[in-house]
Amino acid sequence: MVTLFELREGVGIVGWGVYIPIWRVRAVEIAKMWGFSEELTRSLWIEEKAVASEDEDTVTMGWYAAKVAIERGGIDPNHIGAIFVGTESKPYAVKPSATIIADALMDSNIKSASDIEFACRAGGEGIRNSIALVASGMTKYALVIGSDTAQANPGDVLELTASSGAAAYVIGPAQESVAVFEGSTVYVTDTPDFWRRDGSPYPQHGEIFTGEPAYFHHIVSAAKLLFKELGLKPSDFDYAVFHQPNGKFPLQVGRMLGFPKEKILPGIVTPWIGNTYNGSSLIGLAKVLEEAKPGSRILVVTFGSGAGSDAFSIIVKEGIEERVKRGPKVIDFLKRKKYVSYGEYAKNRRIITRIR
Amino acid sequence: MRNVYIVSASMIKVDRYFNKSYKELVLDALTKILDEGSVEHIDYTVVSTLLSDSILHQLDLSTVLTQHLGLNPIPSLRVETGESSGLTAIELGYSLIASGKADSVLVVGVEKLTEYPTNIINENYSKILDYEIETIRNISPPDYAALIMKEYMKRYRIKREELTIWPIKMHDNASRNPYAQLRFRVDRDKVLNSITIAEPIKLLDAFPVGDGSAIILLGSERTLRRSNSECMKVTYITSSTSQPIYLRDDILEFTALRKTFKTLQEGSRLDLEEALLEIHDSYSIYAYLILEELGIAPRGKAPNTVDKLNNVNLSGGLKARGHPFGATGIYQVAEAYSILSDRGLGELKYNGKYGLIHSMSGPDYNSRLCLIEKVM
Repeated sequence: MVTLFELREGVGIVGWGVYIPIWRVRAVEIAKMWGFSEELTRSLWIEEKAVASEDEDTVTMGWYAAKVAIERGGIDPNHIGAIFVGTESKPYAVKPSATIIADALMDSNIKSASDIEFACRAGGEGIRNSIALVASGMTKYALVIGSDTAQANPGDVLELTASSGAAAYVIGPAQESVAVFEGSTVYVTDTPDFWRRDGSPYPQHGEIFTGEPAYFHHIVSAAKLLFKELGLKPSDFDYAVFHQPNGKFPLQVGRMLGFPKEKILPGIVTPWIGNTYNGSSLIGLAKVLEEAKPGSRILVVTFGSGAGSDAFSIIVKEGIEERVKRGPKVIDFLKRKKYVSYGEYAKNRRIITRIR
Repeated sequence: MRNVYIVSASMIKVDRYFNKSYKELVLDALTKILDEGSVEHIDYTVVSTLLSDSILHQLDLSTVLTQHLGLNPIPSLRVETGESSGLTAIELGYSLIASGKADSVLVVGVEKLTEYPTNIINENYSKILDYEIETIRNISPPDYAALIMKEYMKRYRIKREELTIWPIKMHDNASRNPYAQLRFRVDRDKVLNSITIAEPIKLLDAFPVGDGSAIILLGSERTLRRSNSECMKVTYITSSTSQPIYLRDDILEFTALRKTFKTLQEGSRLDLEEALLEIHDSYSIYAYLILEELGIAPRGKAPNTVDKLNNVNLSGGLKARGHPFGATGIYQVAEAYSILSDRGLGELKYNGKYGLIHSMSGPDYNSRLCLIEKVM
């Protein structure tokens, strides 16, 4: 069994970009609306979440993030031979989001394009596929987008965190990259911790079952597999970025693996923007890339319910600072915010049904 | 009536067993008791479970379990009296032996709650109250506990923080019980800052949701003679019922417990100070009321006495050992038996002769007491 994605050809990150909607709703406002206690928002460490506007969706957000990733990479988009959109909130149930975004970004039609669905880790799967395509020489660049306007049943605890946002990565040859993949592992089981049945407007979840046997088990398993295969230990990494359904879980899973808080906090974004699902760990990674020094080693572990995790070891290269400057940073999006009421949030996220 | 003895006891750690079915939980507990070699013969199996119908979708669970465990053709039955089901199963097993119907009875408690999220568990747990009058009006057991706690604080002018002493003590006790679900210590701030279940009840005032299975083997004198394990006598076991909360003159009085305790005192010579006690502290406010009803503390003074109590809920109680509903009463008896035994329960030991176990359903809708005694 091959556990490690061993790279024969160097592959890395050429460019990246994110998008976070300007609107925020405070978690305590949602808690108050449904009678949750305020302590719950503190215990989950969620302060506010990003709210996509009525005219924003997975495609528009994904497109923006991808545009920045291409500009930051300074590449010709027509050399992108594959585009993957990891999402669980596509505007069309049947019809790829990837083709809409691709046509808006490039002229070339000679590319593979598809949407990938695996709850919050589809973006991670997209990165693995892209590494393979680039390493094999099938394409020069691949574009991976993680984008979601996450749905949550009104009044469910998920509503405190489910938010909107996107991240995009141009994966390409190591010599053009400012961060290279050292290796990757994946760990997948059939664990029904969170799901949305066909036709159901909102997902359901197994509460505590989403924690222990799902989030924690998969992330720890994928990460330990990576440590073993690469002969690395937590102290070899300068940063650790985990999927972050709330602020608490990534710190907890980091502690389980032996990472100090200081190595996890730089990649934490969920307390201020919510859980952007497929954007979650990828926005966290973008934030770390924007402050990491050349030579830093970053651990990234995704998680998607259902369930699975990818672990990546990434080494930052020279020239990263210059590339950071080529586009808007995560921190800019974190600062750019305006608050909306629960009512405005409900209207924008179409929780209020209006018949026309 | 014939004498009844506890011949053996076993349990598994109360926990969340996502990857096991209720049958496997029972099998784990049963294997332990069989490995001890004290079970020679079983005449009857009594199974206690509260929510098997709604959560496990299983009726006649005792027969299905008997079949699965290969215990057939031993007769079996299931009992359910709300949260006190476990002690009721022991009461029934006791009666089977005392009456001469059986010589040895396997009393099995099992509850598997992690099959569903807590809102489903709470919805079904609330059916221990009168469905047509209480549950249908959205009243759940913690709501009543909250009303009672508010009244207690008001009447005796007790501050909220003073009532944190019970959970603090129970978590401390549970840290020494290898079978407890919550084996961590808490302090005042941790209790007060935990999420609110029903104002003023905090998460850390309430029992945790967990799975568990505990087994007691009861036997007659004849079984006792053949056994090589340490046996204890079940000296007395009795129960009473009370009025629903909305018909009570005083919601701070647990009359079912009072009546049960009176009956027990009349039927036995018990010095409470020397006995090891296990009480039904599903919500910390109930612990104070139970201590007062048993005369261990004066009315309104129970919180002040908790610090000095070294014979109550050494297991950590429902609060921290956990409360796998139908199995709880059997856990309590199994723990008292083990702690009183020469072997002890982990590092837990108690130098005394008697163990008194209290179990109830809801706010004392029914209360049961079981007195066990070391046989010298």
